[in-house]
Amino acid sequence: MAEKGPVLRAEGLSKQYGARQVLRGVSLSVNEGDLKVLIGPSGAGKSTLLQCINFLVLPDKGQVFLDGREILHTRRKELCAYRQKVGMIFQDFNLFDHLTALGNVEIGLTRVRSMKKGAARERAVMELERVGLGEHAGKYPAQLSGGQKQRVSIARALAMDPKVMLLDEPTSALDPELITEVLSVIRNLVSEGMTMIIATHQIGFAGDLANEIIFMEDGAIVEQGPPAKILTRADCERTREFCSKITSPYGESR
Amino acid sequence: MEEIFFIQEVVPALLRGLLVSIQLIIPSAVAGLVIGIGVGGLRVYGQRWVAGLADGYVAIFRGFPLVVQLFIWYFGLPHIGIYLTPFMASVIGFSLCSGAYHSEYVRGAFLSIRRGQFHAAQALGFSRFGMIRSIVLPQALRLALPGCGNEIIYLIKYSSLAYMITCIELTGEGKIIASNTFKYMEIFLIIGAAYLILTSVAGSLLHRLEKRLRLPGFEHYSR
Amino acid sequence: MTANLLAVLDALPYLLQGGLVTIGLVVGAMGLGLVLGVPFAVGQVYGLPWVRRVIGFYVWFFRGVPLLVLLFLFYFGLFSLMNINLSAFAAALIVLGLISAAYQSQIFRGAILSLPEGQFKAAKALGMSDTRAILFVVLPQALRLSLPGWSNEYSIVLKDSAVAYALGVAEVMARSHFVASRTYYHMPLYFTAGLIFLCLTYFGTRGLRMLEEKVKIHGYSR
Repeated sequence: MAEKGPVLRAEGLSKQYGARQVLRGVSLSVNEGDLKVLIGPSGAGKSTLLQCINFLVLPDKGQVFLDGREILHTRRKELCAYRQKVGMIFQDFNLFDHLTALGNVEIGLTRVRSMKKGAARERAVMELERVGLGEHAGKYPAQLSGGQKQRVSIARALAMDPKVMLLDEPTSALDPELITEVLSVIRNLVSEGMTMIIATHQIGFAGDLANEIIFMEDGAIVEQGPPAKILTRADCERTREFCSKITSPYGESR
Repeated sequence: MEEIFFIQEVVPALLRGLLVSIQLIIPSAVAGLVIGIGVGGLRVYGQRWVAGLADGYVAIFRGFPLVVQLFIWYFGLPHIGIYLTPFMASVIGFSLCSGAYHSEYVRGAFLSIRRGQFHAAQALGFSRFGMIRSIVLPQALRLALPGCGNEIIYLIKYSSLAYMITCIELTGEGKIIASNTFKYMEIFLIIGAAYLILTSVAGSLLHRLEKRLRLPGFEHYSR
Repeated sequence: MTANLLAVLDALPYLLQGGLVTIGLVVGAMGLGLVLGVPFAVGQVYGLPWVRRVIGFYVWFFRGVPLLVLLFLFYFGLFSLMNINLSAFAAALIVLGLISAAYQSQIFRGAILSLPEGQFKAAKALGMSDTRAILFVVLPQALRLSLPGWSNEYSIVLKDSAVAYALGVAEVMARSHFVASRTYYHMPLYFTAGLIFLCLTYFGTRGLRMLEEKVKIHGYSR
């Protein structure tokens, strides 16, 4: 789309755990405003890929570039600065248990971005309202439902003004009736132009909004392309097999 | 006649003893807590060999009776040339012993913190120091408080053992007076009451502190 | 180095005999604590308000006053006042037992309270009296749940028994000091005493762990 290069680019990421090769030289790139969706069976390496991108897991081989600049994970300060620009949403939410919803959103602002308390609070309130949780600001994680927790974690990530958001199966740990509220927040982000990579099982959702669907299996990308193609008339046998199993017979919840 | 004797001789002596007791308890409590936090941290986050050493320290200082430890510091050290006063030996003994117990609670607290929070903190760009300061410590403090608080209450009680290595604190003064006057019941009931007051006040302070720091989601950790 | 070792080996039989005294103290104290602790726990959970208050006072007193003070209070004070002539060993055993009863009652009380309410209700629904419900439904479960806490109490009582030395009881600590003050081999002798206590702790807790396994209710995870 844009003339300038991709916002985020990963080249040849490989990771091995003991005898198992979890990632085999995976490369991908995202342009500004893209929504790329990773699909594939469990153990395909989707989660590991996302965690390698922000170095929560250190890849054995490969490089990551943000706005064209390579990120060297050995440089502590650089790494922290990089992570501020790449937001991550976890399957298990990982909210800070000792802080209220507001506190969770504020802490990145005050303790990482060194904002002043007043400004941080204002911003935090704004982000919570953006995800629809304004009245729950004073509640602790123990008092929130799964869907609410995940929305707080999205607000927390957004407060950092990230360039890219990585979402690692954001709705997989949620009861079905709570999935919708999280998906609608993600939809809003897409319409606002946020650059995102999402690993998910929510295929219907992916089909609606994604620029590109990437099918992974066994640590490698099998096929990638526009949703219309991948979901219905993929080139690869394996892709077709996987997609046919997940798009019928129940269809996917919106 | 007896009452006057009592007030003139006994009370000052007991107060003297009480002062020594307090002088024993406070430094030992602080040192023990600091040691416990350090050792607990090393046992959970330190490298293998460091954690192993720390585990060894804890095993010995929790395994040997405190009396034995005190005797080693006071009677044993002179044989390798180190001469400690009864007071010093007591404070060192109490600090190292209670430090081992504190480290158990601190270790348990660190281990209870759900790991995912570390990932989230890293993902937000927290440095390691920032993470410890803002995420680990606030939670660890609340989780370790009941255990460490109780250990300090135990310390108040076993400070009386300083008598056994000739450090004359409250119990020691009482024993001296009682041996001279044979009024064991009266003296030791008073001393018992003094300790009861100390432990009860400490217990109530601990309870109030726990209440103030309580957060939803952390209740089930308080024992 | 060898001189140290020889000194220790020389004294070892004498020290180990002290170990028997220690074991006697601990077994007696834990036993007394058990015999009193269970009724106290039941009283605190199911008893009338005045019963609970009295037991509460007992627990507060025996957990708040230091062991050494209680030993002096009872041995030199109470027993001579009551004209009871007890040996230092017996007096120490009783005091250790009374203190342990206070702590054990809290262990059992916690275990009883952790049982789901439904257990007691179901027993009553079957027509059991309170006493039977407690004896045949509540206590069998609560006592099993208490084993880890009881094992912990054992190691505490074991270490506290060394304080009996203050009354002149000839247990391990007392004996090691006796030999040390005559031979001057303080360090190795105290270390040996400490190791004897460590061994007693280790074997005791292992034994209790085996007991735990034996009486475990299968499928009942806590």
